Amino acid sequence: MEFVLSEEQIDLRDAVIRFARQEIDHDLPSYDKEGSFPFESWRKCADMQIMALPFAEEYGGCGSDFLTTVVVLQALGYSCRDAGLVHAIATQILCGLQIHLFGTPEQKQRFLPALCRGEKIFAQAITEPGAGSDAIGAMRTRAEQTEDGYVLNGSKMFISNGPIADVVIVFALTDPESSRLSGISCFMVEKETAGFERCRSIEKMGLCTLQNGELVFDDCHVPKATLLGREGQGAIIFNESMEWERSLLPAAHLGTLERVLETSIAYAKKRSAFGQPIGKYQAVANKIVDMKVAFELGRLILYKAATLKTQGKRAAMEASIAKLFISEGLKQSCLDAVQVHGGYGFTKEYEIERDLRDSVAATIYSGTSEMQQAIISRLMGL
Amino acid sequence: MRTIDNIRQFITSEICGGHCEPITDTDLLIDQGIIDSMGIIVLLGFLEEKFAVRIEGDELLPENFATLAAISTLVDKKNGMNAEG
Ligand SMILES: Cc1cc2nc3c(=O)[nH]c(=O)nc-3n(C[C@H](O)[C@H](O)[C@H](O)COP(=O)(O)OP(=O)(O)OC[C@H]3O[C@@H](n4cnc5c(N)ncnc54)[C@H](O)[C@@H]3O)c2cc1C
Repeated sequence: MEFVLSEEQIDLRDAVIRFARQEIDHDLPSYDKEGSFPFESWRKCADMQIMALPFAEEYGGCGSDFLTTVVVLQALGYSCRDAGLVHAIATQILCGLQIHLFGTPEQKQRFLPALCRGEKIFAQAITEPGAGSDAIGAMRTRAEQTEDGYVLNGSKMFISNGPIADVVIVFALTDPESSRLSGISCFMVEKETAGFERCRSIEKMGLCTLQNGELVFDDCHVPKATLLGREGQGAIIFNESMEWERSLLPAAHLGTLERVLETSIAYAKKRSAFGQPIGKYQAVANKIVDMKVAFELGRLILYKAATLKTQGKRAAMEASIAKLFISEGLKQSCLDAVQVHGGYGFTKEYEIERDLRDSVAATIYSGTSEMQQAIISRLMGL
Repeated sequence: MRTIDNIRQFITSEICGGHCEPITDTDLLIDQGIIDSMGIIVLLGFLEEKFAVRIEGDELLPENFATLAAISTLVDKKNGMNAEG
């Protein structure tokens, strides 16, 4: 497998880096402090067609392959310091992929153009207050069939984009008596639907601009046409979408890791102690070496997963390894970067502290690191 | 080896770890908990590699994985063979 980017991919990557540096100019420290969402920058990213990348042109997409989408998300993670905004965009693309793969032609026509233009914000809701790592097994949200549709009851937790979402892809039990593999279904619920409430955004230690919240469904009637995929297909849709998600989110993390690496190299060359640059001390250099190793190896497994998905193949193992390796690598690199920057690294001014706060969540969402280890071991037949 | 026996052998050894009763062609794999939501990922990886098929979209339905007979019918159909093949 060869991982040489095409000229087109390199041009696109460079264009996204230029765009993010020049155009994404909201005052991040204050947005971060207040936990507000940068709608203006979201719109600029939509105008740049970042959310439209992997979708067919007939739905307003760019028709790019998945590896190209991954390369762009990596470029955005590298050049846009607002990891919360990047996560919101990745969530939008992931919702689009579920609709693209499992939606009816009518659903695609109805939702994908607005998704590509960023006019409607999408979220996906699996986790519940009592069901996270075991979201499928411990799910309690019910969707009872009625004559003309379903009635949803239950609540979802920590949902990215949830508090500002126009459309939410909700996973719910349609047959609680049968196995979870065939008893869960997927619905697209619009914000105006009676009985659906988006609660306020939860304050977090990092990714503060990303809006995460609880969603409540209280006798929420939805028509049959909101079903995404077939009844009972929810657990399979979840599995499928995790392969895409565990490639796309790590792409953004890898971009951030590259930026943290470059920042650390520059600082280690510039800052002197005991008469020479701190980078000359092995104890400092080795931390940066570890960052470089995490970046280079992370890129290989990420591009492998993305290439497999581009070829229409399964990449459950590769995507889980990418998610585990890159998120843990990013967290450790951010911690080391703070150390390399000494007291300045601990200040808000140097911004490394925000990268560290943001990085912690990467080892939790989309399946914790412990769950990735469990998945990888199961895939090895253990 | 017939498709169905190949799949039976894989599920018995790799998904059940050799710890299940002999699986018949019509045993309900999902309802009896032999294949769970993680097991199906393992199974799909095996089917696509072993039989060089791609299973996607509308084929990814629980009923297509409900029994050994259903799985092997799906695989054989994709390979342009009849179920006995
Ligand atoms: C920033 C952020 C964004 C999110 N966005 C979304 C979203 O858009 N949609 C959505 O549905 N959810 C979202 N989530 C929820 C996220 O997916 C869950 O938080 C995650 O799956 C873990 O679930 P939990 O928080 O309930 O932890 P728990 O499942 O309670 O786990 C607690 C601890 O126990 C460990 N643990 C649990 N089971 C095992 C096991 N079998 N073996 C070993 N260790 C185990 C875990 O690894 C963890 O360390 C988001 C979370 C965050 C923080």
